[in-house]
Amino acid sequence: MTRLTSPQELNELRQVLSAGTDSRTPCIVICSGTACQAGGATRLIPAAQKFIIGNQLIDKIALRSTGCHGFCEMGPFVLTEPQMAFYPQLKPEDMPRIIEALLAGEYVEELLYKEPSTGQPYYHLSEIPFFKSQQRSVMGFNQRIDPVRIHDYIALGGYVSFAGLLARNAPQEVVQQVKASGLRGRGGAGFPTGTKWEMLAAQKSVGGKFLVCNADEGDPGAYMDRSMLEGNPHSIIEGMLICAFGTGANEGIAYVRKEYPLAIQNLTAALRQARHLGLLGKDILGTGFDFDIRIMPGAGAFVCGEETALIRSIEGKMGEPRQRPPFPIQKGIDGKPTVINNVETWANIPLVFRHGAEKFASVGTQGNSGTKIFSLVGKVRNTGLVEVPMGTTIKEIVYTIGGGAPDKFRIKAVQTGGPSGGCIPAEQFDLPVDYDSLRQAGAIMGSGGMIVMDETTCMVDVARYFMGFLKDESCGKCFTCRKGTQRMFELLDDIAGGRGTPQHLTLLEELALVVKDTTMCGLGQTAANPVLSTLRYFRHEYERHINDKRCDAFVCNELTGAACQTACPLGTEVWRYVALIEKGRYEEAYRVIREPNPFPSVCARVCGHKCESRCRLGTTGGDPIAIRALKRFVTDNTDPTVYKPVRTRKAEPQSQKVAVVGAGPAGLTAAHYLSLKGYKVTVFETGSEPGGMLVSCIPSYRLPRDILQKEIAALLDENITLKCNTALGRDFTLDDLFARDFKAVFLATGSDKSWPLGIDGEGRAGVYSSMEFLKAFNLRGEELATGHVGVIGGGNSAVDAARIALRQKGVKSVTLYYRRTDQEMPAYIDEVDAAKEEGVALETLVSPVKIRHVEQARKEGVKVEDAVSPVKIYSKHGHLTGIDLVRNGLGDVDASGRRRPVPVEGSEFHAELDTLIIAIGERPDSETLTAMGLEVNKDGTLHVDRETLTASRTGVFAGGDLVSGPAMVVDAIAHGRKAAAIIDRYLRGADMTMPAEIMQPDVFLEPAAAADAAEDEEPVRVPIPMLDAAARKTGFDEVELVLSAESAQTEAGRCLRCDLPFTRRVECEEDKAL
Amino acid sequence: MSLTANKPSGGHGNTEEKVNLKAIPEILKRHAGERGSLIPILEDIQTVYGYLPEEALKLVVSETGRSATDVYGVATFYRAFSLTPRGRHLVCVCLGTACHVRGASAIAEELKLQLGISDGETTADKEFTLETVNCLGACALGPVVVIDGHYFSKVRKSRIRQMLEDARSGCINSSATDSSSMFPVTVNCPVCKGGLMDENFTLDSLPAIQLSISSAGVSGRLRLSSLYGSPECAVEYDVPAGSAVEVSCPHCKAALSGALSCSSCAAPMASLDVQGGAVLHFCSRRGCHNRSLDLTPSSCLPEGGGAK
Repeated sequence: MTRLTSPQELNELRQVLSAGTDSRTPCIVICSGTACQAGGATRLIPAAQKFIIGNQLIDKIALRSTGCHGFCEMGPFVLTEPQMAFYPQLKPEDMPRIIEALLAGEYVEELLYKEPSTGQPYYHLSEIPFFKSQQRSVMGFNQRIDPVRIHDYIALGGYVSFAGLLARNAPQEVVQQVKASGLRGRGGAGFPTGTKWEMLAAQKSVGGKFLVCNADEGDPGAYMDRSMLEGNPHSIIEGMLICAFGTGANEGIAYVRKEYPLAIQNLTAALRQARHLGLLGKDILGTGFDFDIRIMPGAGAFVCGEETALIRSIEGKMGEPRQRPPFPIQKGIDGKPTVINNVETWANIPLVFRHGAEKFASVGTQGNSGTKIFSLVGKVRNTGLVEVPMGTTIKEIVYTIGGGAPDKFRIKAVQTGGPSGGCIPAEQFDLPVDYDSLRQAGAIMGSGGMIVMDETTCMVDVARYFMGFLKDESCGKCFTCRKGTQRMFELLDDIAGGRGTPQHLTLLEELALVVKDTTMCGLGQTAANPVLSTLRYFRHEYERHINDKRCDAFVCNELTGAACQTACPLGTEVWRYVALIEKGRYEEAYRVIREPNPFPSVCARVCGHKCESRCRLGTTGGDPIAIRALKRFVTDNTDPTVYKPVRTRKAEPQSQKVAVVGAGPAGLTAAHYLSLKGYKVTVFETGSEPGGMLVSCIPSYRLPRDILQKEIAALLDENITLKCNTALGRDFTLDDLFARDFKAVFLATGSDKSWPLGIDGEGRAGVYSSMEFLKAFNLRGEELATGHVGVIGGGNSAVDAARIALRQKGVKSVTLYYRRTDQEMPAYIDEVDAAKEEGVALETLVSPVKIRHVEQARKEGVKVEDAVSPVKIYSKHGHLTGIDLVRNGLGDVDASGRRRPVPVEGSEFHAELDTLIIAIGERPDSETLTAMGLEVNKDGTLHVDRETLTASRTGVFAGGDLVSGPAMVVDAIAHGRKAAAIIDRYLRGADMTMPAEIMQPDVFLEPAAAADAAEDEEPVRVPIPMLDAAARKTGFDEVELVLSAESAQTEAGRCLRCDLPFTRRVECEEDKAL
Repeated sequence: MSLTANKPSGGHGNTEEKVNLKAIPEILKRHAGERGSLIPILEDIQTVYGYLPEEALKLVVSETGRSATDVYGVATFYRAFSLTPRGRHLVCVCLGTACHVRGASAIAEELKLQLGISDGETTADKEFTLETVNCLGACALGPVVVIDGHYFSKVRKSRIRQMLEDARSGCINSSATDSSSMFPVTVNCPVCKGGLMDENFTLDSLPAIQLSISSAGVSGRLRLSSLYGSPECAVEYDVPAGSAVEVSCPHCKAALSGALSCSSCAAPMASLDVQGGAVLHFCSRRGCHNRSLDLTPSSCLPEGGGAK
């Protein structure tokens, strides 16, 4: 490499290099940042080289290996120039096809990046939502540069601005321009960079002045500095050179984390190349200006992010901060004036000079100019580095660029600023991201880590995590920081471990303020932020841990126990019966299932299985255990009489009487447990048979009636009197019941009144509510559907109605109209799939035209998952003939974190229909209850005390859907069981509030023998056998079949056995005791 | 970094056989006169020994003139240093925020359970050391576990047993030099264009690349595998590890090294023409396996031009 001896020579070199670069030459760009390398990029490169050399293509195609492009989730990936096609998650064997297609000017369609919701491929990088909304002024260079080739950087105009300053001999321009650009430090505090430099320039120093590049990126969750160092080290060198020239500094130090080997390697190579070219060292570009940069590998201490600590570390001492003033700008390294800037700040400097300060300042908002790189990580679909103008909203970053939640869990907050930062709740996602707005919201910009958190993130745990980090990283110099962080950690650990009391919160808040006020450096002063900000926005989570001993995110170990068990509203010991199945001990398994649940066979078929959605196998990226199918296997293969219910008291003639209104799952469960406790129970039912929703709504192909009847019959005993065809309000009142010596009443009348669309024409013949339609068929065998049938809605009853309609004789076709995508349907996914298999056409992103107040029902607090509003209904001679619908696009994100369906203008279409079933949600029919003086909520649910299920009249309790709105069968059963316990306490005159209990596995079962080590493949979830689709759509035979003993045992063997850490502990303690 | 590192190294260190301190003077010499050299010195010692042996620290104290308190203070302040020997395999769990919210603590617990050790400890058979790190900056891959430098991304509890077994049997490193990504090249001298393939000498079952080398006045032949990606080579005489050699063409005797320097060790790279149009660069330092294949040699024309 020839040394350049004047700024002019650099310009000439640049011209030669730029002329040699033809932007039309096809080029394969392979991202080789750390993430992509770990993902396999190192194998893509030789695969491409092999093909290019082997096929004599060197003159036709170029290959470039670059630093990080930011879309780390998709690594390893390839970008093709000049097409700019983006091929994600490649394997080496894909390379030949991509190269051939590029040379032919074509695309390999199936390998292109596709829109996750529609599967449509994107042909150009700039169309991809992740890139489209970014402004990648700083990061954008990474994809155009091979970081170990200085010529790539120079060809793009690198070092030219610096050479220009040298040529003009205009050091005074440096501070002037940087001040005018409004650039603020990207390391976190946001101090104006120009002002800092001005102070350095003004310092008189004999022994020299220092510049430091702080690349000790310590905030966990932020990695933009690493990517800049790896991907474009010359931009940082140029930034430091410009500063040195403008401020008279003569020595630069890059303090780089030792955990970043590739960054150190690329920076080392870049420094060497710059020296060879005469851009660093003595007599730079022949102008007599001297400056050099040395790398100092950081040895790992978070506190070294604090500038006085960083300086001590550079001096070879322990990184303890010291009191300021004097500021480093006056007395820094070896007592000499020192400027410390973060990597991203340095990388921004060349831009200020390349395009001018004015242009730089025009991006972003007032007082917050330029762009900022964020590392968008955590529970978000598109993890990666994103660069946006300052002032972009969090919503835009998380949803538009980040693609929103990766799973069905709702996003609830982002955490910015690392351990010194804070959390911002989803309700505030309209907040523009800049230094000042974030500080007002209780967080900080920090270096730009943005960690997305969803319902599976526990805020108490987050606070505990950060405090654990800070107590470890506190240097110990200030007593209040050293002991304060330790003590705060202990308090948080108590709360997370279920040992918290309300006093813990008081103490925590008090301590947080003391630590903030009495510590010397930034670490201590901000140490309380994670606690204060989570308390500010998520206090209810702390209270839930303290008062109810529950962690709703299933994170805190002690409160979660085995997640399958705590997720079950009944607390079923799922882990236990799964382990017993694995061992072939089916009768014991049955007893475990039956003990808390009087409807095991019902739940084995129709349960919404919250256990599966929290199964650790599923939440960590695999497939959850097929728990419901395993339960079905046990209940189908075991004689129910192996379980004998425990009677705690015998009923006597003088026993107290309790009335249960409604013979659904909640009512029958309450009756059963009250009977076991020795009460005389009378169950009043409006219908002609017991079962409630189980019989009126759930189709028999999902729940065969003989199974249901057997299970109900087993529950009714001599203490329980069932009175069917008897309705509350019509045949008797609450007063009547108390007058007839019932001591308590449990109301469980369900929630079976359909929400109307609220438009004209709903009363026409041929239009039915889902409840009306389902009951007509399930209870009376009437077939209301004929011809072409449309169903509006996306919940389970919509899907049930569609599938029942399909089985009716006069039906030609059934279409389900749902306003969001099928990914977002609230119905159980297997039911939707089954319906599609049977031939139900699915029109998603469609909603009836002339939409009005969709939000109405939701505002009333109704648990309506997806309200569909007014539609134009056409009719002739009073009978439905069709409806108008409009197609929806996806708009802004709504409160549920899902993108709002927005009608696309001009996309209206007509559907000829003979039958329309409206299935957009249900509410309780509670007018009778209001008439009897009971307090009813706006959404029609009965008002009760959540703890004790007591209604507004003494002696009246309520549960099930009447209280919760439409929910799962298992929730109703849980209410029934809880009501029985509370009514018993009430009648015995005991305190009705039940103490919160920590639920943890307590029975030790041997783990399964280790699977065959040779087996590389992870075992997959057992497929659930089904009747053939063609055969089942004509009949009402049960669709789902039972697992074989072999597949049940294999499936049970996949269990991670989350119980073992708890039960082993119990074992150990017992051993010790012996 | 670990709790154990904060304890004096007494018990553990003494059971070890005597530490060979030969490398220390060289390290001290390398950093002599540097500002703040203590940390780089300790880092180099740690790189050589895998930890900071007590004897080595005593030597640092006597040679640098820093007080023992100072050296001990620095050695225990930073997470990168360990006062106890580490196992053959280093298992490092990232506990950064991004990994944490994706369940890294459960992964760490499982590793502790399976290895039977705590964070910072080494198994009794000296096979594994378990460490945690605050963030590796590979957040998109979380939860991340790094074993012997190999990144495992989106780790699940169910994969851990296999990962540890692979590490124990050495399978992890062999997958890095995966033979499927190797391919043969045919090379010529960039100056006289003469063929450099030696049909009579095979490496990896292929004709080897032959070159002349010299160092410290001794000359001989070097043969490199023509399988790009393979580290195989054969040298006629003993070149001390770590020293760079002069590489020249056996036909025209032109010097072939010096146009580029190695991106990992800064030694001169030798450059050869590959049939088909590329340039093969390889590091001339014994022990450095850095090789690269340059498909766009025209873009670094001035660089090549400088060498001519």
